[in-house]
Amino acid sequence: MARVALILCFLMVGFGCNDFLEPQPVALLIDDLALNEARDVPSVEIGLYSAFRSIGAPKVIAGDMTADMLTHIGTFNQYREFSNKQITSANGSANALWGSIYRTIYVANFILERLPDVPGVTETERNEVTATARFLRGYAYFVGLYTFGEIPITTTTDLESNRNVPRASREEVLQFIRDDYFAATTDALPDDPVNAGFVSRYAVLAARARLGLYEQNWAEAEALATEIIASEQYELEEDYADIVLSDFSSEAILEAGYTVNDDPGTDANFGLNDLFRGRREIIPSNETVIALNSDEAGDRFVNISFNLSALGGADNGWSVAKYGTADEDNNNIIIFRLGEIYLIRAEARAQLNRLFGANSALEDVNVLRTRANAPLAVANSTEQMLRVIERERLYELAYEGHRWYDLVRTGRASVVMNAFSPNWSNNFERWPIPLREIQNNPSLQGAQNPGY
Amino acid sequence: MKHILLIVVSVLTVSILPSAGLLAQSRIITGRVTDADEFALPGVNVYIKGTTEGTITDLEGIYRVEVNSPDDILVFSYIGYLAKEFSVGTQSTIDIVLDEDARQLNEVIVTGYSYVKKRDVIGAITSVSAEDIKDLPMISLDQALQGKAAGVQVTQSSGTPGGGITVRIRGNTSISASNRPLFIIDGIPVEDGALALRSFGGQNDNALSTLNPNDIESFQVLKDASAKAIYGSRAANGVVLITTKRGSKGAKTSVTFDVQRGVIDLANKLELLNSEELVELQREAITNSGANPDEAGIIKGVTDAVNTDWIDRVTRQAIMEQYQMSLSGGDEKTRFYSSFNYRGEEGVILNNQFLRFSGSLNLDHQVSDKLKFGNNLTISKTRNDRIKGDNFLDGVYSGAVKSLPFYFPFDENGRIIGPDNSNYAGFPNFNPVGQAVLPRFQTNTLKVLAGVHGEYQLNEHFRARAKVSIDYNDVAEDQFEPSSTAIGGFLASVGGQGYGVNSTGTYATFINTNTITYNQTFGDHVINATAGTEFLQRTENTNFVQGRLFPSDDFTYITSAGIVDAGSSFSISSGLNSYFVEARYDYKEKYFASVTTRYDGSSRFGENNRFGLFPSVSAGYRIVNEDFFPKNTIIDDLKLRGSYGLTGNERIGDFAFLGTFASTTYNGVTGTAPANLENPDLQWEVTREANVGIDLSLFSGRLQTTVDGYSNLTSKLLFAQPIPLTTGFGSLQGNIGEVSNLGIEFSLSSINFDGDFKWSTNLNIARNENLVKSLADTLPLFRGYTANGAGNTNIVKVGYPLGTFWGLNFLGVDPATGEAIYEDVNGDGQISPDDGMVIGTAQPAFVGGITNNLSYKGFDLSVFLQFSYGNDLLNFSNTALLNAGEDINNNQVRKALDRWQEPGDITDVPRYELGNTRNNWHSNRFLEDGSFLRVKNISLGYNVPLRYVERFKAQGVRIYGSATNVFTWTNYSGNDPEVSTLDGSTTAQGIDFFTLPQVKTMMIGINVKF
Repeated sequence: MARVALILCFLMVGFGCNDFLEPQPVALLIDDLALNEARDVPSVEIGLYSAFRSIGAPKVIAGDMTADMLTHIGTFNQYREFSNKQITSANGSANALWGSIYRTIYVANFILERLPDVPGVTETERNEVTATARFLRGYAYFVGLYTFGEIPITTTTDLESNRNVPRASREEVLQFIRDDYFAATTDALPDDPVNAGFVSRYAVLAARARLGLYEQNWAEAEALATEIIASEQYELEEDYADIVLSDFSSEAILEAGYTVNDDPGTDANFGLNDLFRGRREIIPSNETVIALNSDEAGDRFVNISFNLSALGGADNGWSVAKYGTADEDNNNIIIFRLGEIYLIRAEARAQLNRLFGANSALEDVNVLRTRANAPLAVANSTEQMLRVIERERLYELAYEGHRWYDLVRTGRASVVMNAFSPNWSNNFERWPIPLREIQNNPSLQGAQNPGY
Repeated sequence: MKHILLIVVSVLTVSILPSAGLLAQSRIITGRVTDADEFALPGVNVYIKGTTEGTITDLEGIYRVEVNSPDDILVFSYIGYLAKEFSVGTQSTIDIVLDEDARQLNEVIVTGYSYVKKRDVIGAITSVSAEDIKDLPMISLDQALQGKAAGVQVTQSSGTPGGGITVRIRGNTSISASNRPLFIIDGIPVEDGALALRSFGGQNDNALSTLNPNDIESFQVLKDASAKAIYGSRAANGVVLITTKRGSKGAKTSVTFDVQRGVIDLANKLELLNSEELVELQREAITNSGANPDEAGIIKGVTDAVNTDWIDRVTRQAIMEQYQMSLSGGDEKTRFYSSFNYRGEEGVILNNQFLRFSGSLNLDHQVSDKLKFGNNLTISKTRNDRIKGDNFLDGVYSGAVKSLPFYFPFDENGRIIGPDNSNYAGFPNFNPVGQAVLPRFQTNTLKVLAGVHGEYQLNEHFRARAKVSIDYNDVAEDQFEPSSTAIGGFLASVGGQGYGVNSTGTYATFINTNTITYNQTFGDHVINATAGTEFLQRTENTNFVQGRLFPSDDFTYITSAGIVDAGSSFSISSGLNSYFVEARYDYKEKYFASVTTRYDGSSRFGENNRFGLFPSVSAGYRIVNEDFFPKNTIIDDLKLRGSYGLTGNERIGDFAFLGTFASTTYNGVTGTAPANLENPDLQWEVTREANVGIDLSLFSGRLQTTVDGYSNLTSKLLFAQPIPLTTGFGSLQGNIGEVSNLGIEFSLSSINFDGDFKWSTNLNIARNENLVKSLADTLPLFRGYTANGAGNTNIVKVGYPLGTFWGLNFLGVDPATGEAIYEDVNGDGQISPDDGMVIGTAQPAFVGGITNNLSYKGFDLSVFLQFSYGNDLLNFSNTALLNAGEDINNNQVRKALDRWQEPGDITDVPRYELGNTRNNWHSNRFLEDGSFLRVKNISLGYNVPLRYVERFKAQGVRIYGSATNVFTWTNYSGNDPEVSTLDGSTTAQGIDFFTLPQVKTMMIGINVKF
């Protein structure tokens, strides 16, 4: 019996196997180590930008495909639903956009919660990162509010409270965005960061100008736009094509940044270059092809390109030129640029009845017309001027994800969209809350947007 | 009461009788017990008739017994052999030769870390022997279990050689952790499932196909807690123990050559529309959408000028061949088995093939009567030329099925049409012939399965054994898609100008097992016990690099790539520390009891729950051995069994319990982003298993049946529970619910005729009811493919089984308008995903198999049928192939001809209208009955009479032929009812999505033994 025990002991001592039970992960960092020292701060901030970036592509789909600018010829049903205006709550793009918005909010909340306690961070850096987090969180709520309507507000990283959270009122969300934007309006942000892939002081002003426009605070929108233009921090690109065909043009205020080695095609959700060029799931609608080839559009026809060999069947042969292919370095998604700021000011001035003459709506529109080598605009009334601006936004901001939001906020969606598609319903002025959210968040049950 | 009295009386008798012997004159008798081949038989019971005095033979078959008078009769009994009686007389040495009793359940089988006579098994164990599978032309050893073992459901996911195979034992226990059983070969847990890194659209490879099935001696499928709790935290899905062939002592060295050659064809071809019919249909769809078909370029006589049968273009009659040589033999001290095998099997898809070279050497050496050593070694190399499939637009078979017949694969010079040709079909179906022939997708796998063990007999009761083994797998994928393919050329954003991927993966499991066994007999009481420790470490190292923009298609390796734009290296390891004990007791082979317990610690769980305890108890009662049981009836064995215990499942991937950040990039800068939510309380899935069974043997073993019933409940289900995205995450790894499996298994083997003409039948049939009993919250979980208009194809819902299909309820086609009518389930006046409902289940009511073996003189015939009844199959391919005109990118199945065309048409195929998604929403329109009965295999063999054979100094020559998937009876309209595109999925099983169907193999072979 002693021998038995001896051998058994030998065998068990032979292996110091407790190491087997505690392997170390190689590609992961444990939560508590992610943001606990000063040098973690830039890394986590990149994580925030990365989340913010993923809002870009589905927001372009929302802005341009829910409206009349894109047609689907591929195989993915989520895009076919937009093309045919048979949108359902199971739509994958709705899910992707919602997820990106709340992921951005989560990382921002993570930073805002933990940053105050991280030792060794300079005051300057702390303020800059805090302002960036609040700005990007505000932007995420902004996109959420105008896409889905009243959305839940989450302000912590606490799982239990975030998984059971009801829709907030429109006013609450709006106030939240204003608070974040206001907190981000600070000198802590640089005027001129490394490139327009990162948030500058002017990006915050641009976002506030756009919010002013959306909320019809014309004077505020006009003043903010003027401040940006007057700063001369940005200048209009001489050749419009450079905006489409390259990243970081001289008028870029904020872009969601990609590089060749880090291209959007590698995103889990299909990147725009894949949808528009690689797979060609989505092509410009016939209406937009006509509009962009009109005299008025001028140089802005470069937003689309034609290939005879693709023509046939449902395919009109046109492709969206913006976002290029994976090998071209124009994959960034423009969030704010000077051209839009001119259009914000033009619309605000039109609404303030400053139609002609110096510092007028017409003057701003014609800045863009001139740059595009297009005939100068003509308008005789506010109403006409607003139509001119509506068209100008289509040409100038094509495939930057504005159209649907513009039509909805100006009350023009019904008229324009009913002419475009027999399946249009005014319920499509909002995207559905993703089915998955309704299914998994008890507070959202029965709270779907009408018509879905 | 009477029984108990009997027992008491017999116990008393036993204890009184020996005292009588003390009065007589005693002397010692010794001798050796062997079998007919003069092999020593250890463990033979030797006792004096009418008494309980006796002994058992030792390892060399030697016994030593004390007798009292020359009139004593010695009885030699050994399970599986006919008992012999011998009158002592005056002899002092009595050597005995025992003859085998062929009818007895004489096998000794492996049960985890020890052995038990099959007859005395009290767990639910099914054995499959080499003989049962000898003529089946299979690549992978897991195929051997198909239809052969009750309660084991084996599904070949496709007809791709070396492809994925799903094995399920007693249903599904888990939603998201693996449901694969634990495969153990000669004590080594081996890799199963897919090894390759890159996805092939559902066409996975199979780690078990690296092993040569011809080296297998037997399979034991452990099904209940009693049998498998010894494997603790890995046992919940059942355990398959595989024993390889070994040499036998003192046998003449034999050399066996086996050659097989055969042809393989598609078993069933999908019938699609021809060009003329399709043009008609597309024009109608365009017209119905209000557009002009001529403007859309779909013109009769022009568009349909070409009529290509794409399936014919990408398939072929494939060739398979196999050469095997094996040697075995041994003397008293050393035994060996060695083999070499080459198998080459082409796929029916062009350019697809699977080659395997494997060699093995198993040695046993007896150093002394106490010490012995042994090893097992298998080295194999496979080369798999793969083909993209299923869920890939650029898949070959999927592309061929969907491709429009208007295009042709070759230009006028016979060259394959590529993206630079104006006749290229382009997105989404490309040129399937080019997709098959042009890329290089070579997966090379090296597998080494090696172990060495030593065993030391400490004394007559204790034996110590230690084994160290490794399962080493190295997978290298060498891939290049030239610019003439979809990825390499057409899809500019992916490849642009050639696309190369090279990856390697190394998966190694190191394992050390140490056991002490104890055997002791106290009169009629026999005790066997085993205690042991086991340490296991698995490491995984993977690397890959991707390159694009090659100078031309002549440069196919990444060294020539213009951009090397993706790559990674990764390493991960996991470990298991285990301690276990097992004790068995039997009394007169009448009452049996056993207890097993394993204590496992796994690296996959947080510190709070790192260790788990998995106990089981079982009992057996052989009624026939009772005195009151009438003798000389037709019943020769009747045994009742019962067991209860706990088993676990730890296969959830690594580090799931940690809250983590992972690397991310933005704008050319690297940072970190949240990856996973923390759950320190994450723990094992635990399955509580109860089993009762009856073993019955009639007519001297000519009819044997086993019935098992079980009730299993898996709780603390490991699951990445979907949580609202407002949390910042999509899921939380947790323990969220319960799944039950309730089932009954029946197997029967009967010898219908015996004599010159022999006919035997083996039947097994099983029913398993799987049910989700509870989930953490009341909300259902959606799974499977994204389904148009209904969310997802599958649901996990309390009160329904895993593999439940979800969708809209299709009520038919409105005869007036041709529109699909769906049920407004929630009554809100509109059809939306909220109207989704449970529409069916992939779980069959019954599965089973029947094998009939007939032989007459030298001829033998085996017919093997396999069936599944009552399961639904989702024909998801038809969302593209019967799509009501949603798009006109795909060919359509012939049922499209039944579409609604004008008011008054009564049909179940909606009106075709281009762009209309509503008529093609996911509904039970796509769900079909998946029941089938299949003649899985017929084989016919002829053993050449010895008088011819002996001239060539051969011991035996066998010529045989075999055909698989000969015929299938099914109502399923798709290719094949036995497919699953999501290979290995539990919640979304039974979905056919352009899956390559099973193939028909016709093979002939010759086996020569010297």
